[in-house]
Amino acid sequence: MMEIDAAFVAKVLCAFIREELHKFGFHKGILGFSGGLDSSVCAALAARALGGKNVLGMILPYKDTYSDDVEDAQALARKLGVRTRLIDISPMVDAYFARYPTEDRKRIGNKMARERMAILYDHSIPEKGLILGTSNKTELLTGYGTIHGDMACAINPLGDLYKTQVRALGTHLRLPARILKKAPTAGLWPGQTDEGEIGLKYSEIDAILYELVDERRPAEEVIASGFNKDSVKKIEALIIRSEFKRKMPPIAKISARTVGHDFLYPYDRNR
Amino acid sequence: MRVALAQISSHLGELRKNLDLHLETIEKARRGKAHLVIFPELSLTGYTLMDLVPEVALDPARHPVFQKIVAASRTIDLVLGFVEERGKGLFYNSAAYLSRGRISHIHRKVFLPTGGMFEEAKFFAPGKAFGTFATSFGNAGLMVCRDFLHYGAGYLLFAGGADLVIVISAAPGRGMTAGPVFATSRMWELMGEAISFFSTTFVIYCNRVGFEDGKAFAGGSFIFGPSGRRLVKAPETEEKLVLADLRLDDIRAARKKWTFLRDDRPEVILRSLERIIGDDGD
Repeated sequence: MMEIDAAFVAKVLCAFIREELHKFGFHKGILGFSGGLDSSVCAALAARALGGKNVLGMILPYKDTYSDDVEDAQALARKLGVRTRLIDISPMVDAYFARYPTEDRKRIGNKMARERMAILYDHSIPEKGLILGTSNKTELLTGYGTIHGDMACAINPLGDLYKTQVRALGTHLRLPARILKKAPTAGLWPGQTDEGEIGLKYSEIDAILYELVDERRPAEEVIASGFNKDSVKKIEALIIRSEFKRKMPPIAKISARTVGHDFLYPYDRNR
Repeated sequence: MRVALAQISSHLGELRKNLDLHLETIEKARRGKAHLVIFPELSLTGYTLMDLVPEVALDPARHPVFQKIVAASRTIDLVLGFVEERGKGLFYNSAAYLSRGRISHIHRKVFLPTGGMFEEAKFFAPGKAFGTFATSFGNAGLMVCRDFLHYGAGYLLFAGGADLVIVISAAPGRGMTAGPVFATSRMWELMGEAISFFSTTFVIYCNRVGFEDGKAFAGGSFIFGPSGRRLVKAPETEEKLVLADLRLDDIRAARKKWTFLRDDRPEVILRSLERIIGDDGD
């Protein structure tokens, strides 16, 4: 079902964060902390699982485009006892586009997401921490994320929760109302919202995804049960088009035993 | 009799670490005055083994790690899960009942879930039998995880005269409910309730906890009495050693009330099955 028992889910996810990190010999979690809903929920879970001092929220704005979000992130971090580090990514991003200029907002947005990824992974070494992912199930299924950017992480506690479920979890975790009410945005450009860009409300996207994915019902059946035809078709197309973002890239098979084909070991091998 | 359900989290692919975990848990159960300790499915190896299967497979009659556990059964009965290698290169998802320093019985998982998130038949050979065997507490029968969800398997242990049905499991939690449990937890209890009542046996179910590759094993181990009453339930997803006292006289009491066992007609079932199999035109 779509409804979750938020206390139970929080307990499972905290155990997941703690156990997965400890198995690999880590005690600290690092995350990109935008002040939006997903990263705030992830920060709150990580603080509960690992202790606030073992969580580093990396606040990585481009210039001062989202100063409200930065303030929200900092305020929540104080409340959770989470450490933060603020790095303005504009010098790195601007340096690149000064040499290779573009007006393409998608290219600029992707570059920013990957710049943040590079900074997170760089900090994982001196911090001796692992990157906690914040991509939710809605984003993973619709491909609404930058591959090797915000989708990159060591473990992802939120990847099996739809956006609307993440919000329910955020309410349970007593996140500030400002964060809970925020219009979700990938922050690729000022004024952008996910719902504006996809052209559908999250409540509708999630309800359709639930029917297609969790209930595994064919699109025609979902439409016949009362969902808007164009919305269902659009979401189905998004899922199919973004498969590559959810997979390791295919490896050309030559030998008898090949990585990704028949060299089959669990991620948690010997842990 | 006192049973200990060892709802543990094994280390994936680490026999030695898991040996220590077993011995510590057995010691705790012994201090708790348990007579029988039940470990989960593949407790000695972890569950999501894939290509690790041949690397952790062992011959229980010879392997030093397994022999240490057999030795620990001198004063307390044990059930555990492991990868068994028979002959050369046939690997089974097996459960063993150990007692008085010997292996009393080995059950090899018959129903290997393969589909969706499960791929056991890619890595294991299927077992071919369900049988009962004598223990100091009565006749017992073993099942491994998915075996239990095929009700024909439960029938065979019933027809074989089981007093105790022991199920070891590594069942991941799946699906949300309105309450603090995974949706799949109800499925296991449903079968536990049904088999215990209609077989007039104890059903002892031990599931593991912990995470492997993102899967949360759901725990929620339980025991049902021979009248279909739940006697004990371990917490969902938390490590725990649960002790429970079983009154073995309850089996007789249940069979006085409900004569399912007396009235069973296995020869009719067998003939009907032979007819069904013979009719199979595929």
